[in-house]
Amino acid sequence: MSAAPDQGSEATPSRAALAIPTTDDPRAAPSTEASSRADPAEVWIVLAAHDEAPTIETVLEELVARWPNAVVVDDGSEDGTRELARRHTPHVLRHRINRGQGAALQTGIEYALARGARYLVTFDADGQHDPRDVEALLAPLARGECEVTLGSRFLGEAVDLPAGRRLALRLAVLLGRLVHRVPLTDAHNGLRAFTLRAARRMEITLDGMAHASEIVDLVRQAGLAFREVPVTVRYSAYSLSKGQPTRAAFRIAFQYLMGKLLR
Amino acid sequence: MSPLNGFQVLFAILMAVLGTASLVAVGRRAVTRREGALWAALCIAACVAVLWPRLTSLVAGWLGIGRGADLISYLTVAVMLVGFWLTYMRLRALRRELTLLVRRLALDEGLGEERREPGPPREDPSDRSPR
Repeated sequence: MSAAPDQGSEATPSRAALAIPTTDDPRAAPSTEASSRADPAEVWIVLAAHDEAPTIETVLEELVARWPNAVVVDDGSEDGTRELARRHTPHVLRHRINRGQGAALQTGIEYALARGARYLVTFDADGQHDPRDVEALLAPLARGECEVTLGSRFLGEAVDLPAGRRLALRLAVLLGRLVHRVPLTDAHNGLRAFTLRAARRMEITLDGMAHASEIVDLVRQAGLAFREVPVTVRYSAYSLSKGQPTRAAFRIAFQYLMGKLLR
Repeated sequence: MSPLNGFQVLFAILMAVLGTASLVAVGRRAVTRREGALWAALCIAACVAVLWPRLTSLVAGWLGIGRGADLISYLTVAVMLVGFWLTYMRLRALRRELTLLVRRLALDEGLGEERREPGPPREDPSDRSPR
């Protein structure tokens, strides 16, 4: 998702570069089992956005067509992200100063809970996630099989993922298994879904990117049933420029460990 | 006691000023009594170490360190580390408070007239999870 405030972004990526499927895409097959489908009126999509003007409209346009309840938390943007988001959803919150993705997601989660959400989905605003995966994430929750679903690009597909980034993510997964004691295949995927009960039992306290690891700990500590779901993550020059550089891994790891120690 | 040199005099004056400022800060409630007492004690200890250097050598000997100067060095490192840790913890708490404030402003603005929940409760009495 969003990079730190001092990192720049690429020029506005084209729709093709974002590779967001169109509504007439034959691959977008609807779910056939009514019992596995969550009512869109009860689903809230939470997006944290910091300076995502190049992609926010494209992302929201596809999301709200299927999931009308989308809340965007503008995390101190200075490029008009908030105004662009308001063209597609009335639910736009504003962090007056940048606090980090973890903080923005928690704000969005609390807003969705106050609005009566039964299911919550966290979704990146940089165009990496596929809106069609939301249905797959919600299906196990709607069937009552678990309370949390975590997207995994390594069970699904990671399109145009650079080799260096793939290696770093794989290492993060290995370390994560040691620390979290949970056998996940993807360490830092922003695509997740929670039931109301699960969301109420967790509170993200790490403001920055370390929140992704904190969420895994919170799920485990709360004893919430979860599963991984194959998802597609598409990388573009824009999303790679907004992502965290490899050297930031040490800072993120430090933040996570300090948070774990002092919690 | 041998006559004081210029440095000892200046240092003693500086410590006296800092120690007094600590106590004044307590009176003005800028710091807690415990913090004020701690800073005043540090000033007194520093003053003693500089005015009676042989005392530090004596204490160092008791502790098996050897030289008074080494004792001062070790204590300085320890005090600095504790100070850095306390500062880190305070900054961390401050960041947390800032995030909560920013969140509260965002939610109050977004929810309008509605009261927002004071954070997600740990237990959900009305379990709406699908079973």
